Amino acid sequence: MTGFPAALGAPAVSSAPVPMPRGRRRTELLMLAFAVLVVAMADAFTGLGLDGKVPSNLAVYCGGFAAVMLGAHLAVRKFAPWADPLMLPLAGLLNGLGLVMIYRLQESGRHGNPGIVISTLTSSAAMIQLMWTVVGVAVFVAVLVLIREPRVLQRYTYTLGAVGLVLLAIPALLPSSMSAVQGAKVWIIVGGFSIQPGEFAKLALAVFFAGYLVAKRDVLALAGRRFLGIDLPRGRDLGPVLIAWGASLLILVFETDIGQSALFFGLFVAMIYVATQRTSWLLIGILLFVGGAYIASTLFSHVGSRFAVWLHPFTAANVFCNPATQTHCVPSYQLAQGLYGLGFGGIFGTGLGHGQPYLTPLVQSDFIITAFGEELGLTGLMVVLLLFGLLVQRGLRAAIAVKDPFAKLLAGGLAFVLALQVFVIVGGVTRLIPLTGITTPFLSQGGSSLVASWALIALLMRISNSARKPAPQPIQDEGMTQVVRAG
Amino acid sequence: MNRALLRLSLACLVMFALLLININYVQAFEATSLAGKPGNGRTFNEQFQYQRGSIVAAGDGGNTKIAASRLVKNGNGTYQRYYPAGPVYAPVTGYDSIFSATGIEAAENKWLSGTDPRLQVHNLISLITGKPKLGATVSLTISPRAQQAAYQALASDGGHQAAVVAMDPRTGAILALASYPTFNPNDYATLSGTTLNKVDARYRANPAQPLLNRALNATYAPGSSFKIVTSSAAFSTHLVANPNTPVAAPNTLPIGSGHVLINDNNEVCGNLNPPIIQAFWLSCNTAFGKLGIRLSGAVLRQYADAFGVNNPNLKIPLPVSPSVVPLETDPAFTAFTAIGQFNDQVTPLQEAMFSAAIANHGTLMTPHLVQSVTAPDLQVIDAAAPAPLSHPVTPTVASYLTQMMVQVTQNPAGTAYATANPSVAGVQIAGKTGTAQNGVNNGNLDDAVFTCFAPAANPKIAVGVIVKGGGFGADAAAPIAVKVIQAYLKVK
Repeated sequence: MTGFPAALGAPAVSSAPVPMPRGRRRTELLMLAFAVLVVAMADAFTGLGLDGKVPSNLAVYCGGFAAVMLGAHLAVRKFAPWADPLMLPLAGLLNGLGLVMIYRLQESGRHGNPGIVISTLTSSAAMIQLMWTVVGVAVFVAVLVLIREPRVLQRYTYTLGAVGLVLLAIPALLPSSMSAVQGAKVWIIVGGFSIQPGEFAKLALAVFFAGYLVAKRDVLALAGRRFLGIDLPRGRDLGPVLIAWGASLLILVFETDIGQSALFFGLFVAMIYVATQRTSWLLIGILLFVGGAYIASTLFSHVGSRFAVWLHPFTAANVFCNPATQTHCVPSYQLAQGLYGLGFGGIFGTGLGHGQPYLTPLVQSDFIITAFGEELGLTGLMVVLLLFGLLVQRGLRAAIAVKDPFAKLLAGGLAFVLALQVFVIVGGVTRLIPLTGITTPFLSQGGSSLVASWALIALLMRISNSARKPAPQPIQDEGMTQVVRAG
Repeated sequence: MNRALLRLSLACLVMFALLLININYVQAFEATSLAGKPGNGRTFNEQFQYQRGSIVAAGDGGNTKIAASRLVKNGNGTYQRYYPAGPVYAPVTGYDSIFSATGIEAAENKWLSGTDPRLQVHNLISLITGKPKLGATVSLTISPRAQQAAYQALASDGGHQAAVVAMDPRTGAILALASYPTFNPNDYATLSGTTLNKVDARYRANPAQPLLNRALNATYAPGSSFKIVTSSAAFSTHLVANPNTPVAAPNTLPIGSGHVLINDNNEVCGNLNPPIIQAFWLSCNTAFGKLGIRLSGAVLRQYADAFGVNNPNLKIPLPVSPSVVPLETDPAFTAFTAIGQFNDQVTPLQEAMFSAAIANHGTLMTPHLVQSVTAPDLQVIDAAAPAPLSHPVTPTVASYLTQMMVQVTQNPAGTAYATANPSVAGVQIAGKTGTAQNGVNNGNLDDAVFTCFAPAANPKIAVGVIVKGGGFGADAAAPIAVKVIQAYLKVK
């Protein structure tokens, strides 16, 4: 009894307080500062590479960018304090790198810089993209403010489904003069102002699929017959998948956009698989898409030519472009130029401002990844891909962690569609798969894609906030609790 | 649903892994082949934006710059190629124009342009340290003394189409490689596409074919110089024991179908049964024609092949047109083959190789032009290692041939005595003349041929000369060889 005399008589101290899970907002701020630093350095190197001087507008671009990111961070602190701390810095870094590359491409051949002027890029493209970044982050904040709980969205399942289909259908119904750019009929063009409704339709349909599948998943999962070891669904349950397939084929045919159609169908198949956990849906989906794509490639020349270009990008007949204006390009010219750019960059790249990305037609949109590959090299391109990979991983993590099945399904679908979009476009320009023109999230020039990508990140962060938010503390003082015994 | 989400995560992982593997393939492994694709504007634009490596002639121990890049102010590019000696080295260097390249400029482009992977570490260091990218320097075995002498000798020879090749028989190093008429590579170094097209059209329209590298890519009948091969075959097969063994040399040799072979100008060959060495220095056609028939076409071809003939794959690294000695079965054609007429066709390089093999005791060293490649940091990244190409004859047979070839210039009755005897040349030369009839019914001027090496006792240089339409080999071709030898060995 000589051990701990002092302790003996002391009143029992309550055990250490339950450690509060941390929101990790400080981590987010630190990572965000790092992202802004990387972007500022990249901007400075671009100027040094082009004309040996730090660009004069460094303060404007980077200050503006930093301010926008800080605003996003403060909004997250207020409206989603438990959200994943890496998503915002990752998205911000990608967006910033995209800004720098668009600035670099815009400066090509202008203001005495080396290279050829990219006629499809105005001299204020980077500034416009910065403005779109502001809009994108504003939408990001708006989503966080308006949608306080993921399940709020569930109420609008069918509304959003209808909105999504209408958005998808508009370009197909509009005359080409109001909807077609470079052969892809996916735009709404009003008075010089253009948006790509498909980018937003993607989000609306993801919500619709999540809501619909959560409601129907039991019947989709359980009813059916077993055939050859695979659970086949009932014929009448095939309805939704056939509708989604039909819609994606219609996009393919009327909007000449294989990329978008692959994206929608992939999203749907992935979500129905997650909802039902039945491999048969996956097989049916893949068979339907491959079959549809094959038939379309034989029926429609613009689909078939994609395959021809993919298989033989260097065939003389395929490599043709008006060299003076860089117009009337057979797609393979673009693909070949993109590959030349990647090869030219090699392992370490030419350095920002030292490459010749301006030789690739429309390098600022679909092919921006080849500009990164050329100037930052294999090393830089791998970093960019890993940034996307991390972002997808954070999204899937949120999906696994969240309890609400609707939010789970939505997060899984959104993270997957982001991965699929990166795969389709990066795989396309690097000749892994046939090239289909869709934007690279966050990097490509263009407002619709950027705004939609920020909205997607907002939804993922909202869901991760729900997943990470600690459960309400149970009231521990028994004295305050009255036990009511019934019957 | 988490199990399915994990599977979905796996699918995402696979997609990103595929992308990463693919860009590694494209940017790390496919990069070189992409850079070489026709229509790759980046490669094209880049080639004038940095200093291409120099070509130097190092055969005399010095480093004579024969092609270099210099900074120019205007034009499409920044750097322009120039060739200090103008046309002298044109058959060696070729040209490097904005559209194409020939000669060493094409064959060693990966070094000169710095695209070879072995140079990329260096370029990476340059990139980090901010130094401009540089190509590697290619040092050639060419001796400026021999090359200048060869070019001057051809240019002052009355405008005949002709070519000279000199090589070091001990290593195969090519010391001189001249062709005439030739071109000025500086004309092709223009950065203006329109000027270039005009220059190229003018050269191509010239009937004298100045762009043709006769030393490597034109073939002519070897004439009597082929008797080196016929003799080698005769000694090696023991058909003839040694140089003093008598051989039949009739005034007329019937070769079937009523045709006969005669000696040049109906000369009488000694006592009609002279030792082979005398038949050689007099260059009697009937003696060697008869030996050829006795040896058979197959054996002649076998020895010709051993001397490097009929090899379509020879690169020095410039591609060499194959010299041709066809397989003859008809006795008449076999007799003609044995004296280097009719279907036999050889390059001037092949003429030098005949002598080089004899001079190097029967071992033919692989002819080569590139001595070493030096990275911009002066590190030698590639150096030539002399290697034998073939062993056409034994050292004994080679010594017999040397004895016979010495008599050609040393014996007052030898065919090249007047133009290549030791007191004229200042050095003992072992050689063989050739005078090849050609044209329909031999109506054209004879081609003059001379192959030789010197000094005969300790050979340091082997030379092959062909002068198209030059006439008698000893008169037209031998003096050119003598000048090259004198310049290289610094005699007189």
